[in-house]
Amino acid sequence: MSAESSSPRVGVFVCRCGVDIGDVIDVPALVEYAKKVQGVAYATEDSFACSTSGLEKIEDAIKRHNLERLVVAACTPRTHEAIFQSACERSGLNKYLVEMANIREQCSWVHRDDSQAATEKAKDLVRMAVAKARLLQPWKEPEIKVNPNILVVGGGVSGLSSALSLADLGFKIYLVEKEAELGGMLKSLHKLSPTMRDSSESLESMLRLVEQNPNIEIHTSSRVKSVEGAISNFEVEIESDGKVVERFNVGRIIVAIGAEILKPHGLYGYGHDKRIITQLDLEEKLKNNDLKGVGTVVMIQCAGSRNDERPYCSRICCNTALKNAQILRELSPDIDVYIIYKDLITYGVESSALELNTKRRGVKLIRYRDESPPEVAIEDGSVVVKVFSPTINEEMTFRADLVVLSTPLVPRGEASELAKMLKLPQDPFGFFKEAHQLSPLDFATEGVYVCGTARAPKDAVESISEGLGVGSKAAEYKFSRIRGRGAAFAEINEKKCSGCGICIELCPYNAIRKDEIGISRTDSALCGGCGVCAASCPERAITIHHFTDDQLEAQLLAAIDRRPRK
Amino acid sequence: MTGYEPRLIGFLCNCCGYAVADLAGISRIQYPPNIRFLRLMCCRRLDPSLVLGILSEGIDGVMITTCSLGGCNFIKNHEQVEKKFLFMKRLLEKAGFESERVTLEYLFASEGRKFADQVDSFIERVRGLGPSPLSGDSPDQDLLLNIRAAKAVAENYRMRALVGKEEKLVKEGNVYGEPVTQEELDTVMDDAVENEYVHQKIRLTLLEEPASVKKLSEKLGIDSKKVLEHIVAMRQLGWVDVKEILGSSPIYTALEVPE
Amino acid sequence: MDENVLVIGGGVAGIQASLDLANRGINVDLVEKAPYIGGVMAQLDKTFPTMNCCICILEPKMIECYRHPKITVHTLSEVTEVEGSKGNFKVQIIERPRFVDISSCTRCGACIEKCPVTVPDEFQAGFESRKAIYIPFPQAVPYAPSIDKGSCLHFGGGGCIVCEEACPTAAIKYEQDPRTVSLNVSSIIVATGFEQYDPKEMGEYGYKRYDNVITPLEFERLVSPYGPTGGELTRPSDGKIAKRIAFVQCVGSRSHREGVGVPYCSGICCMYAAKEAVTIKEKYPDSEVTIFYIDIKAFSRDFQNLINKARDEMGVEYIRGKPGEIRENPLTKDLYIWYEDTDTGEIGRKEVDLAILSAALLPRNENTRLAQVLGVDLDEFGFFKVEDPFLSSLETTRDGIYVCGCCHGPRDISNSVVEASAAAMKATTGIRLTAEGSGG
Repeated sequence: MSAESSSPRVGVFVCRCGVDIGDVIDVPALVEYAKKVQGVAYATEDSFACSTSGLEKIEDAIKRHNLERLVVAACTPRTHEAIFQSACERSGLNKYLVEMANIREQCSWVHRDDSQAATEKAKDLVRMAVAKARLLQPWKEPEIKVNPNILVVGGGVSGLSSALSLADLGFKIYLVEKEAELGGMLKSLHKLSPTMRDSSESLESMLRLVEQNPNIEIHTSSRVKSVEGAISNFEVEIESDGKVVERFNVGRIIVAIGAEILKPHGLYGYGHDKRIITQLDLEEKLKNNDLKGVGTVVMIQCAGSRNDERPYCSRICCNTALKNAQILRELSPDIDVYIIYKDLITYGVESSALELNTKRRGVKLIRYRDESPPEVAIEDGSVVVKVFSPTINEEMTFRADLVVLSTPLVPRGEASELAKMLKLPQDPFGFFKEAHQLSPLDFATEGVYVCGTARAPKDAVESISEGLGVGSKAAEYKFSRIRGRGAAFAEINEKKCSGCGICIELCPYNAIRKDEIGISRTDSALCGGCGVCAASCPERAITIHHFTDDQLEAQLLAAIDRRPRK
Repeated sequence: MTGYEPRLIGFLCNCCGYAVADLAGISRIQYPPNIRFLRLMCCRRLDPSLVLGILSEGIDGVMITTCSLGGCNFIKNHEQVEKKFLFMKRLLEKAGFESERVTLEYLFASEGRKFADQVDSFIERVRGLGPSPLSGDSPDQDLLLNIRAAKAVAENYRMRALVGKEEKLVKEGNVYGEPVTQEELDTVMDDAVENEYVHQKIRLTLLEEPASVKKLSEKLGIDSKKVLEHIVAMRQLGWVDVKEILGSSPIYTALEVPE
Repeated sequence: MDENVLVIGGGVAGIQASLDLANRGINVDLVEKAPYIGGVMAQLDKTFPTMNCCICILEPKMIECYRHPKITVHTLSEVTEVEGSKGNFKVQIIERPRFVDISSCTRCGACIEKCPVTVPDEFQAGFESRKAIYIPFPQAVPYAPSIDKGSCLHFGGGGCIVCEEACPTAAIKYEQDPRTVSLNVSSIIVATGFEQYDPKEMGEYGYKRYDNVITPLEFERLVSPYGPTGGELTRPSDGKIAKRIAFVQCVGSRSHREGVGVPYCSGICCMYAAKEAVTIKEKYPDSEVTIFYIDIKAFSRDFQNLINKARDEMGVEYIRGKPGEIRENPLTKDLYIWYEDTDTGEIGRKEVDLAILSAALLPRNENTRLAQVLGVDLDEFGFFKVEDPFLSSLETTRDGIYVCGCCHGPRDISNSVVEASAAAMKATTGIRLTAEGSGG
């Protein structure tokens, strides 16, 4: 693409913006100057180029003077580019053939006291814009076909919510679950706070809806073996019992594989005595009413979390402990419950109410300091818990019938496999890490979403929210990348590519892949237009459309068009 | 230096640099008119060869404004921008060009005042340095050769591959899985840059006029043994060849390397 | 599918919900009370735990929302009537006049320059003044002024037409009237956010009596690059840079005092205090920052990292003990904080330049009116009530009306944004997780 092969007719419109530009910059002089710039076929001014009449003038001029490129010297393209792009379209010109010169926010408004210099600068900016405009090429956004199939990996409460909501919108859902039954963690729970409803019953309602839904195809005892392709066109292989049983073509993938409870062997004696259990074990005991002979229960919070090995807080353990403590006290006022905690992580309205109710039921809360955690030992056949309480400045001793360790949620083993398959980043502990704070459900790989505890510890209610949330993202029919980048996108010259793969490593959007013969290829739907590939390619084989080397060089040379120095 | 007004170029990334420049305007914060801005979608687009090119044309300074950590609306941040910038500075230093004439600034889109202050300081800094030795109608020819050589290094396959792999090498180690420290990498870089730079200087000199090793050594101020080493290597690469023999000295010429 | 959804509240949650819906081809009417969208987040400096610049990440969403062909943004508007039922609500909204024609306005600012009236600027937490015709902050969307009728001389009977005369495009329209707009929508999402507790009633902390006792929103404006001081943390009393700063946590939250504050934990104060402390230390490395706390609630991803950064890396002092009272030196306006360190049992008195009271997050006062109009229940505190957060996630007590964000309880930005997407989904699907198992 070289400048000499075509010399499109450029029209330059200088906006006075009332007095905002006109009072500082010598607009008539600027227009006269523009007429003499190479490539300019027509130049004029207007009081308000973005007004209805101003736009009509532009559209009229484009038609009358057969203009093929448009330069508008006015305010910032960040607010007004779209307006002039529409004007182009209305006059039959491709909308990406307009370039703006910012002579207001970046000129007249900041050089108010030096009209002459501001006008000289405006001339330079117009010259630069014309130089680029001459090299702009038309472009049309690709039509993305919406693939009606969606893969949901994981049949816990989060995956089920996303499956149900998307199925309700008419998508076909392939729900893949590694266990023989759907339900995930909720199958093992007793009651759910804050409503204290039965976990199994609650799960039942969801499961019935899922099983009845004609749009949801359930595959239990199955895992994802491989994923190829990209958004709108993922080829997925599912295996069961070690062999491939299904292949799907899906448009989006939702990862909802959940997390598991840490079983901290050796910590506080766990694994050495069956009276030392996790909260999950306690849930099972409560479900089966298996609490004979239990008189004193001691719960230890932050067992295996908020330490050097796992500095994170697992969010739900304090609420879980309070909930279970409350249930134990309701079972019998003879059961004494002590919760030994570092910081009581209750947050928000419901959780605070739970804390209050639990305290009212006579559950005793004892704080311990980071430096002096509780000690659990077997003495004379009894489980003895000792902890120093800074509140009473004394060591307290409990003979416990049950020691319940509130352990954190940790990512499942298969998280890493899936992370590699789908190019999903993980935090240091293995939870999937989102791209950006304001898009917590979106990831660098377009078309892949993560919800639930696979992302970070959370409770059932929050998991459902996230399941619904990813549903909303997965149902979008326009790709966020294309919306955000304008006309900029990368294209690789296959003849020049030597297959080094540096572009693939550096692309923040995983938009580049090697084809069958090892040449890198970009997917224009995934490309974010950032340009790191072009700047890094050893062969200089990559073009960033709308910001090509030629265009940037032309702008730069236009900027220093030789003028007499002071 | 009275009468000299620095002529500067600035690169602004769309979501931060350009936004903060607009904000300074909206807030009517005044700054001197010496700088012309180019809009990029992201500062990672910036190829060092582009900046070296405009410096060789005589611009007095280049300012790059990119996102502060936490302000970027793309995903990863300025590691790549920084890498390219440091590479460029290395080349400028090699060429003997004042590297203070280029600057990389990090800003949030909300820091309008800070942006204006940075532009102001940079203009003053470049004003203090005087006009670029490459500006005007009679640029310093030696320096021009150097900068052009530096630009050619920035476009060289091996150098670009090294810069492109830098992040991965330090984070993940080499193909054997051995970690590479930044210091080790810097040493490798320095050597590679030195080597390539001399290659390019010789090549550009020969492109202008074929010469013998002795003449090259005199002209470029490089030990003739070293020049010969480079010539041998460049012959193997197919960059230079013997044009003719004058007396007992071969005269070398640069071959046009196909693009 | 030509569905219409009403979103009430143009803060980050409302904006996200609107974008989600619009990007699925659904028409959205976004109703916002203020003259601009962005809500509380536009007033904040940084987010936690990532220390992102708030306005930098919010602005693109605000612009995308305002420009989206499927979203109609109604600023200066409120919902006045809701009739009908899910799938077919008839809604009346009242659009209050801006008195400025947005399409003619070129943002030149001449009207603002010439206006003779100055009043305290609410956006800048009262630290600065604004004119009667104003744009609240430089990134405001829509970026066009509006006239605050209450302080404007023209509407006060003074006959002032200075802004009209100054405007080069005749964009000032005094004759604009409130407009009633009727909408037909299939569902409604409430995203009206929260308001900050006013710690004035906790007299022991001296808010509004002592100049240098401030709230978090006031702090955010002081450190913001587009705030009244350009980002310098100066003391309200004398403009000197504050070097010794204290945060008092749980002011108004976790209160069991009759009629004072609220009993619940506001969830995010531990984190915003840590964020603010880190902001101070980054700006002024030699400053002394102390946080008086009861529990450190660092319950989300990377929250603990920020606490560790504040405490271990940057030397923020964490003292476990809720201060009994704050006193002031009437001459220097320095503050003395009396506290008990419950770890050591010692009583202490800390001298500081500035104290920030980490105030509770309360439901908005307007919730009462809005709940009545919508025909939904509020909980005992005044937040929108979600009967069953498990089976009917984000559903209010009226079918077809949903909530997201802080309007139903305090939560952070990440959660609000997730809920916004979730609510957008709920608003357009019929799924119902009832115990009866019907698909709805």
